[in-house]
Amino acid sequence: MIREIVRKELLEIFREGRFRVALLTVAILVVTAIGVGRQYYRQVNEQHEAARRNARSEWVSQGSKNPHSAAHYGTYAFKPKYPLSLLDNGVDKYSGVSIYLEAHKRNDAQYMAAQDQTALSRFGDLSPDFILMFMVPLFIILIAFNSVSRERESGTLRVMMSQGISPWKLALGKWLAVFTPVAVLTLLVFLVGGVLLANLEDFGLFSWWPLILLALVYLLYYGVFINVSILVSASVRKSSLAFVLLLGIWILSCLAMPKATSVVADALYPYPTQLEFEEQIAEDKTNGLNGHDPWNAESKKLEAETLQKYGVDSVKKLPFNWDGYLMQKGEEHEAEIYFKHYQVLKEIYQKQSKVYRTSAALSPFLPARFLSMALCRTDYHAHWHFADEAEKYRLMLVGRLNGDMVDNSRTGQWDYRADEKLWRAVPDFAYEPVRYQSIVEANAGHFLVLLAWWVLSGVGMLVAVRQMKVF
Amino acid sequence: MFRLHVKYEWVSVWRDRWVVVLSLIFFGLLFFAIRNGQEKVLERQASIAKARGELRQAESKRRGEIDSVARGLRQYGEARRNPRLLSTYGQRMGKVVAMDAQPLAFVATGQSDLFTHFAKPKLYGEAYSLGFSELANPVQLLFGSFDLAFVCVYLLPLLVLAFSYNLLSSDKESGSLRLTLSQPVSLFSWLVAKLALRYAVVVGLIAATLLIVLAWHGIAMSTGLFWLLLLICVYVLFWFAVSFLVSLLGWSSGQNAIVLVSVWVVLVLLVPSIVSQLANAVYPVPSRINMIHNYRVAEADAEKRASEILTSYYRDHPELGQQDSTVANQYQFWLKYFASVDVLKKAVQPVLDEYDGALAQQQEWVDRFKVLSPAILLQAGLNDLAGTSTAHYTDFRHQVIGFNETWRNYFIPRMFANELLQASDLDQLPEPRYQSRVQPVWAIDLLLIAVFAAVVLGVSFRVYQTSSAERWLAS
Repeated sequence: MIREIVRKELLEIFREGRFRVALLTVAILVVTAIGVGRQYYRQVNEQHEAARRNARSEWVSQGSKNPHSAAHYGTYAFKPKYPLSLLDNGVDKYSGVSIYLEAHKRNDAQYMAAQDQTALSRFGDLSPDFILMFMVPLFIILIAFNSVSRERESGTLRVMMSQGISPWKLALGKWLAVFTPVAVLTLLVFLVGGVLLANLEDFGLFSWWPLILLALVYLLYYGVFINVSILVSASVRKSSLAFVLLLGIWILSCLAMPKATSVVADALYPYPTQLEFEEQIAEDKTNGLNGHDPWNAESKKLEAETLQKYGVDSVKKLPFNWDGYLMQKGEEHEAEIYFKHYQVLKEIYQKQSKVYRTSAALSPFLPARFLSMALCRTDYHAHWHFADEAEKYRLMLVGRLNGDMVDNSRTGQWDYRADEKLWRAVPDFAYEPVRYQSIVEANAGHFLVLLAWWVLSGVGMLVAVRQMKVF
Repeated sequence: MFRLHVKYEWVSVWRDRWVVVLSLIFFGLLFFAIRNGQEKVLERQASIAKARGELRQAESKRRGEIDSVARGLRQYGEARRNPRLLSTYGQRMGKVVAMDAQPLAFVATGQSDLFTHFAKPKLYGEAYSLGFSELANPVQLLFGSFDLAFVCVYLLPLLVLAFSYNLLSSDKESGSLRLTLSQPVSLFSWLVAKLALRYAVVVGLIAATLLIVLAWHGIAMSTGLFWLLLLICVYVLFWFAVSFLVSLLGWSSGQNAIVLVSVWVVLVLLVPSIVSQLANAVYPVPSRINMIHNYRVAEADAEKRASEILTSYYRDHPELGQQDSTVANQYQFWLKYFASVDVLKKAVQPVLDEYDGALAQQQEWVDRFKVLSPAILLQAGLNDLAGTSTAHYTDFRHQVIGFNETWRNYFIPRMFANELLQASDLDQLPEPRYQSRVQPVWAIDLLLIAVFAAVVLGVSFRVYQTSSAERWLAS
C-alpha cells in the first residue's frame, strides 16, 4: 500500500511545473556554488601554502642577529583551509586568517575577510551551505505544503479514507514521496562534492566519513521540515493557509531565530570591547597578576633568590646569561596573564554557546547549523583551537630563542648573534586540526537536539494525520 | 466614485481579521528590532564615554604628578619613571578618537559589529598595526543582527505581499468582481483605489508604529527620520507594484502567493548572495596574505640597513639635532627607534598603499552590483543613513591614522629637543576632531529603488492595457 502511495505521489510531484522549476533552480544553484566554491578553495589554499613557505623562508633567512631580536621579528601562523570548508564555510569569513607571533605579546588573528568586503557580503554568499541550509527547506515546503490539503480539497482524501486506508500508511507514503527527491538531491550534492574534494591536490586531508555524517545531519534536518510540512498540511483546512503558515515557520526558524538568539546571547554575556580587553591585560602587566607583585618587584625577588642559589654577589658572575633568563621568566609571567584573560573570553564564548544550544529547542536550524560547521571544521571552536595552538607555538619559539641566549652568551652581552643554524633548529609551525573524535563528542548535544526535533515532529505529524478532518 | 471605492475597500480591510493580526506581529517585530538597535547604540556610546572618562581621570592625576615633580615637591626614583617624560606620556595617554553614533545609528547595525568605535594614538608601533577589529563572537557576525534594517529589507515585503496577494483574485473568486464591473465603473480606477488604499494603510501602519516605538525608547525625532520613512515607503511601493503586476496576470490567490514568495526569495535572498559571490569571484579581494609577505620583505630589508639609515635620517633632519651636544638626550633609545620606524614606514608604505588602492577599487566595483536588487539598495541606503556603512568605517580609520600622525608630530620634535612636559603643556596637546567626511549616497539608493518601482508599475500598466477585462472575468 505504501509503495502505491509513494509511486502515485512521486508521479504527481514530478508532473507539477512548480516542482520542476524549483528543482532546476536548486540544481543550478548548487552546481554554481560548488564550482565557485572549488575555485575559491583552491585559490585560498594556494595562497596559504605560499604564505606558509614564505613565512618560513623569511624566518630562516633573517640573517644573524640577537636571538631576542629574532623573537621580536617573529613570524606568522596561517590558518589552513580544510576540504570540507568547500561545503560549509562556517564562520571563516568572520574570523581572522593569520596570527602574528612575536615576543611579549599574544596577538589575535588578523584580517577577517568580512572586514575587507562591503556590506553586500553580509547578505551571505551563494555557497553550498547557504543552499543546503536555507533553500532546500523552502523547496521542501514548496512541494509538501499541499500534500494532504490538496487531497482534501479535491475530495480524494474522502475516497481514500472510505476505502479504509490506515492514516499511518498514508502519512508514511506522503513522507517518503517528499523525502525521495530531497534525499536524492542531497546525496547527489554530497557525492559530487566528495568526488571534487577527493580530486583536489591535498587528498591526504580528506576522508569520506565526515562527509557521510554531514549528509546524515542534513537529511535529519530535512526530515524535520518534511514532518512539519505534512503536519501543517494535514491540520489546516486550506492549502494557501498551509503555505503561509509553513513560510512563517521557515522564516522564524531560519532567519529570525538565529538573529534573535544572537541578541539574547550578546545581552546576557557581552564581550568586552577590544580596547577594554587590552587595557585589562596592560593593567595586570603593571600591577601584577592575581594579587601577586608586579613583574618589577617579582624580578627583584627572583634576582636575589638566584644570586643566593649560585652563591654569587652579582648577576654578571652567574654561569649563564641573566638577561636572557630574566626575559624568559618575564615571558612566562606574561603568558600567564594572557592565558587568564583569554580564558575569561573563552568562558564568555562558552556561555553564549549554551544560549544557542538552549534556543535550538525553538529552531531546528540552529543545531543543524552548528553541526554542519563543526563537521566542516569551520566553527568558532576550530578557530579557538587554532589560536591556542599558535599561542603554544609562540611560547615554544620565544622559549627556544631566550634559552639559546641563556646558554650561549654572558650577562650583558647584547651583541651576541645567533645565525641560520638556530633559526632552522626551531621547528616550523605544524598545525594539527581538531580531531574528529573530539568534534563528535563536543557536538553530541546538538545532534541529540536535532534527533529530538526529528522524532517529536514525526510523532506530531502522525498524530495530525490520524486526527485530520476528511473534509 | 473613487471615494466610494476607497471607502468600501477600507471597510473590507478593516473587517479582515488578518489585517489586525499582521499589524500586531509587525508592531512586535519593529519594537524588538528598534530596541536591539538602540541597545547597541547605547552600549557603543557608553564604551566611548567610559574610555573618555578614564582618560580624563588619568590625565588629571598625571597633571598633578607632573606639576609636583616640576616644582621639586615629589621624587620618582629611577629616571624612566619620571612622569614628565614625553615618551611615556605620548605612549600611554593618547587621546580617545571616537566615532560617536549618528542619530539614526539604531536603524542598521551595518558594519558596526566588525569594527571598533574608538582608538587611542600611540607614539610607538606603526599606525598600520592599530587594531580596528572589535572583539565579537563570529557566530553572531554570521547570523547578523535583528535590527530595523533586517525587518524592513526581509520581513516588510512579506507583510506587503500578505496584504495584497489577493488584491484582484479574491474579488474574482468570490464573484464580486463581476458585480463591480457591471456598475458604471472604470476597472482601472477601481484597481488604483484598492492599491492606493492598501498602500496607504501599510505606510500609515509603518509610520505610526515607528513613531510610537521611537517615542517609547526616547529616541529624538530628526529630519533624518523623514528620509528613513521615505526610503522605506519607496521600497514598500516597489513591493506593492510587484504584487499589482502579479495580480494583473489573473491567476488564483494561491498561485499568486507562491509566485510572489518566489519573487521575494529571488530578490531578497538569492540575488544578493549570488551577486556577493560572483562579485568576489570576478573582482577578488586582493590577498591580505600576499600583503603580509610583501610587508615583511620590505621590513626585513629596511632593518638590515638600519644603521646607515639612521645616519642619513639625522642628515636629512638637521632641525631635530640637539642644540646642546654636551648633554646626552634622555630619549636616545626612543629616537633611534622612531628613526628606524620612520624608515621602515617609508619602505612598507608603498605595499600598504597598493593594497588599500586595490581594495578600494574592488569595493567600488562590487558596490555597483547593488543596482541588481532593491533589497541590496535598501540595505545600503539604511547603512548610509545610520552611518554604519563600510565607507564610514574606512573614513574613521583614515582619520585615526591621521590623528596618530598629528600626535606623534607633537611629541617627536620635543623629544629631539630633549624637553620635559610641563603641566601647562597638557592644554596644548592636539585634540582629535572626528567628523564624518563620507558623502551621503542614500539619495541615490532611494532614486534607484524608485526606478525599480516605476519600471514595475510601467510594466503593469502595459499588461493592463494589452489585456481586456474579460480575461480576468473568464475563470
